[in-house]
Amino acid sequence: MPRAVNAVDFWRGFALVSIFINHIPGVFYERFTHRNLSLSDSAELFVFLAGWSLRHVVGRPEDPAPTHNLIYRLSGRALTLYAAHMTIVMLAIAMLAAAARILENPLILEWNNAAAVFNDPVDTHIGLVLLSHQLGYFDILPLYVVLMLVAPLIAIIHRQAPNWLVPVSLAIYLSALVFQITIPTWPTEGQWFFNPLCWQLVFVLGFTASRERGPGGWVRANISRIRLVALPIVILGTLMVWFRWWPDATRVPEPKLLFIAGKTFVTPLRLIQFLALIAVFSALYPLIVKALPRLVDFLSMLGRNSLQVFCTASVLSLAGQILRFYFRGGFVVDTILVGTGIILLGLAAWLSEWRDRTQKAS
Amino acid sequence: MRRVGTIAAAIAIVVTVLASPALTQQQSGPVLAPVPKACEAPGAQVIADSPLPNVAIALKDRKKINILAIGATSASLRGPVSGGYFAVVERYLEAAFKGLDVQVVHRGVSGELAADAAERIKTEAGLANADLVLWQLGTSDALAQVPVADFFVAVTDTVTWLKDHKIDVILVGLRYTRSMAQDLHYQAIRTAIKEIAKKEHVLRISRYEAEEVLEGLRREQGVPMSEAEITDASYVCMAEYLARAIAAGLFAKEPKSPLPKDK
Repeated sequence: MPRAVNAVDFWRGFALVSIFINHIPGVFYERFTHRNLSLSDSAELFVFLAGWSLRHVVGRPEDPAPTHNLIYRLSGRALTLYAAHMTIVMLAIAMLAAAARILENPLILEWNNAAAVFNDPVDTHIGLVLLSHQLGYFDILPLYVVLMLVAPLIAIIHRQAPNWLVPVSLAIYLSALVFQITIPTWPTEGQWFFNPLCWQLVFVLGFTASRERGPGGWVRANISRIRLVALPIVILGTLMVWFRWWPDATRVPEPKLLFIAGKTFVTPLRLIQFLALIAVFSALYPLIVKALPRLVDFLSMLGRNSLQVFCTASVLSLAGQILRFYFRGGFVVDTILVGTGIILLGLAAWLSEWRDRTQKAS
Repeated sequence: MRRVGTIAAAIAIVVTVLASPALTQQQSGPVLAPVPKACEAPGAQVIADSPLPNVAIALKDRKKINILAIGATSASLRGPVSGGYFAVVERYLEAAFKGLDVQVVHRGVSGELAADAAERIKTEAGLANADLVLWQLGTSDALAQVPVADFFVAVTDTVTWLKDHKIDVILVGLRYTRSMAQDLHYQAIRTAIKEIAKKEHVLRISRYEAEEVLEGLRREQGVPMSEAEITDASYVCMAEYLARAIAAGLFAKEPKSPLPKDK
């Protein structure tokens, strides 16, 4: 039996659908995803909830999983994520190549940072395997792989010195911001779109918030008061996005990343707004369950099977890009693409659970 | 070799045609090195439509130019270009201006629409303390069927913002491919880039016209060339021309009147 419907799976399913839509640039429904009214977007939610899920592996404080078991399971998870990433990247490259051939359009070969794959295949294939070359919109899983590789360390620090976990994570985050430390890409020059040195804090905060003791316990005990503080922050964030009140990066003082809104470094502005957003919106879940139970069932099913759904969404969003180009977009095409895509995401999740059920039954 | 020469000649011709009134190299400026053999064509000179006043100030005051390379395929590699497209620009400028330090920061996000890039450009320009933004744009918007009006507004706003913040900008436009030659939306995006460059008095580097002429020459001469060969030659020569355009732009004067019509 799949686990019962819950808020974490529901919001993760919500993030997956948002990511699928946002990864079809120009699609009509893109304007309805929450990033249009929020400084942060689904990426923060996805990584935060990935950190939250770490608690299932780490175990309860009174019944902790053995350390060697923890390392084995998390390393295995990182390997699974890596294999999934490589599979969808190869699929994406083949899709771009096939589309370029069928449509006789070499521009498609340059789409989504794929140009180097076709023009400099020797170095770029090494880069793909090392994760130093990432296709556009296929750059979250490499971050997730890195986070999962350091997850045993996170769990061990949490176990041995729980009060040190957030300060250490925060120190790494602030160092990356102050000194603008990035992870370079190769063979094309650039930087990782999701800087792991900064995004690890989102992951750690998700893990910490999931724990009954420590900061997580404090948040639970004070959630009503936190929401009172969070609501104005969410409103201010919405106003900033709506009226484009972005801090001017040429005029803010050094270190500039502390004062601007940027996704690569998940800067404090984005992070604070995101934390406020989840504090406020977590209050809505019980209401959504009552009002829209079928939607909650569906999104929770997606969330329970997040890796399969994420991989399917990545491939489908690229297919959506190609099909939009071929059919020239428009409301009807976009509706069919997004509608069919979401149904297929549901099918991927259902098949995954059906397979698990069948295996258990046999 | 003959093919490379043909390609180079075609690009050079197009660039000459595109160039608005020939910039007379000022006496104080350096003697610009000729284009490499592969891109050489008699009588051809790459000239900036517009000056790059902020780059000129950086050169004078700091002997250092910070260039932010941004947009769809800004960092894509091409075989013959060692170190990538913008390495050519960096090497050329440092050779042309003795003691000049050119820093090119690559922040290309392939597949990104102009509207999405707009805020990122402002952030990255601030972080890099950019004097010049090389913005490769249009392809993703054209393929994603972004309405031309939306594209026009997004790009114009960003260019205006950059100018207001004393940052020069060069727009690197769309590529030519046979399959898109009759595509109305693609052509409309191309026209929009041209109009923005003209309206805002910023330099535009267009690969489209170069590759289009190449295609014509290929047909005329019956020289078989693949799309990949045309693209390679275009990237190599455009990098060379871009470097010279920046160098020339450093010594150009502000236009007193609107620029003449683009041909």
